[in-house]
Amino acid sequence: MIVNESILSLGISLIALFFAGLLATKINQSLIAVFIVVGMILQNFFPVTIITEFIATLGIIFMLFMFGLEFSVGSLVNNQRKIFHVGIYDFLFNFPLGLILGWLLGYDLIHSLLLAGIIYVTSSVIVAKSIIDLKRAANPETECILNVLIFEDMFIATFLAFIVGIANYGQIDAKGFFFVILKTSAFFMFFIILAKTSKKYIDKIIDIEHTELFVILILSIIVLSAGAASKIGLSEAIGAFLAGLLLSETKQRNRISEAIKPFQQFSTAIFFVVFGMSIDYKHIGGMLPIGIFIFVISSFSKVYGGYFIGKKYALSKKAGLRLGFSLIPRGEFSIILAGTIAMSNNLSYPLKSITGVYVLLSAIIGSIIMKESDWFIKWLIEKRDIEESKQTE
Amino acid sequence: MSEIKECDLPGIGKKFTLELDSGDKLVVVIHLSGEREVFKFTKDSEEPTSVTNLNDEEARQIGAILTGTYFQPVIEEEQKLTTRNVTMEWIKIADDSKLANKKIENLNIRKLTGVSITTIIRGETVIPNPRPDEIIKPQDTVIIIGNNKQIKKFMSTFEIKYRLGK
Repeated sequence: MIVNESILSLGISLIALFFAGLLATKINQSLIAVFIVVGMILQNFFPVTIITEFIATLGIIFMLFMFGLEFSVGSLVNNQRKIFHVGIYDFLFNFPLGLILGWLLGYDLIHSLLLAGIIYVTSSVIVAKSIIDLKRAANPETECILNVLIFEDMFIATFLAFIVGIANYGQIDAKGFFFVILKTSAFFMFFIILAKTSKKYIDKIIDIEHTELFVILILSIIVLSAGAASKIGLSEAIGAFLAGLLLSETKQRNRISEAIKPFQQFSTAIFFVVFGMSIDYKHIGGMLPIGIFIFVISSFSKVYGGYFIGKKYALSKKAGLRLGFSLIPRGEFSIILAGTIAMSNNLSYPLKSITGVYVLLSAIIGSIIMKESDWFIKWLIEKRDIEESKQTE
Repeated sequence: MSEIKECDLPGIGKKFTLELDSGDKLVVVIHLSGEREVFKFTKDSEEPTSVTNLNDEEARQIGAILTGTYFQPVIEEEQKLTTRNVTMEWIKIADDSKLANKKIENLNIRKLTGVSITTIIRGETVIPNPRPDEIIKPQDTVIIIGNNKQIKKFMSTFEIKYRLGK
């Protein structure tokens, strides 16, 4: 029974996603935000079933796999110093802020850490797309923005493995901390060693002409890696991410990407819908003020952090501010952080709902700010110049 | 010639910046998708004054036009020359070519065949009127000039298989 009903509700979800997505692309809005809204509306009509939940889990796995696959290890290695420098400033400006906010909301350490991650990580999907759409790829600040994003993504992937490990362990103490870090690094090391030593063999093994067998083999690598990670108490997502990294250096990379993309697009869309469905509709109103509060503060810290990085890299005021304004949109990783971890529901401010509100605000308003930042920056700088000239008089 | 600055745009592609003599900057971004974007920044400006999007094929055509291999002044010249029974020939030097890794003066090309080497193209650099002590390297393109008979003789003497152009 459950299968039949699920199929129908899945179909309804998909067609709703299609029309909402069509609308979103017409007005140039991010799909992530729209998909969550679709989920929030659909929860009034049917519940999340085991099946949609399962597809959503696959969605995270595939999304992280694609992240790994398309992650340019080359540019990470080539520009590691630059990436580290800009990344660490961005981190210092934004991550501790989330910890403080979590503490203010009365969260325990795990939830505060989660909130810090959610607030810290800018959406590389939304920002990279906006940069291309707004024709800013050649702008002076773009390189810094992308370096910040690559640092954040790398950090959050590791953080995700760690935080899920902690959550599964159940409590935070010195022993658990040590144990989880050990486990996480062992898992990472395993993949790094595998990538270093057996690149040739991997290339040979996956060089299969038969399309169907190729897809099945790649899927099995992804799901096995995810399953192995889950088995030892880490996040499935991180297993998939590392599998992606492992395969990103192979000759078959583009073919893999093409084969897996449809699975990813489908299941990731369902993931966002399921996340939207899990946001409590009735509490949204109550969450709004706190969501706006967090959004305003964290946008401010992103802009200021970006401006600071711009100054360090001798960018002009204008480019520095544009750098800051480009880091506001949050998206996929924030949702993943809030969505993957089984959380206690007796918090006074449910983290999932807050994240939902927060991501909606920052994804939608953030994209608009990014687009409209030029005249605002001009106004800001002109005003400042006038004030400065007044002062010198 | 000014230097081309190259930098990675992780997740987007690669950026090449060329500062022009006029002080303007020309920036080419090659996207991972293969799409090219050409930006023009006027002197001291931080926002591009113009952006052009090209797909892979268009980019190659434009590139060919800019390097002068697509159109044609060369070919017109060539036609004029051939009417007077003088031909220019573009020759790609194979790794195992008899010409490879030898000094021009030691090859005795003019004495043996009557042909002259006018230009050597080595990757990005062009060497017009190479000196006798210049060494021809594998993968160079050599432009020679001579009448049909001389060219034929050149081809047979040095066992040339690869011609370019025409």
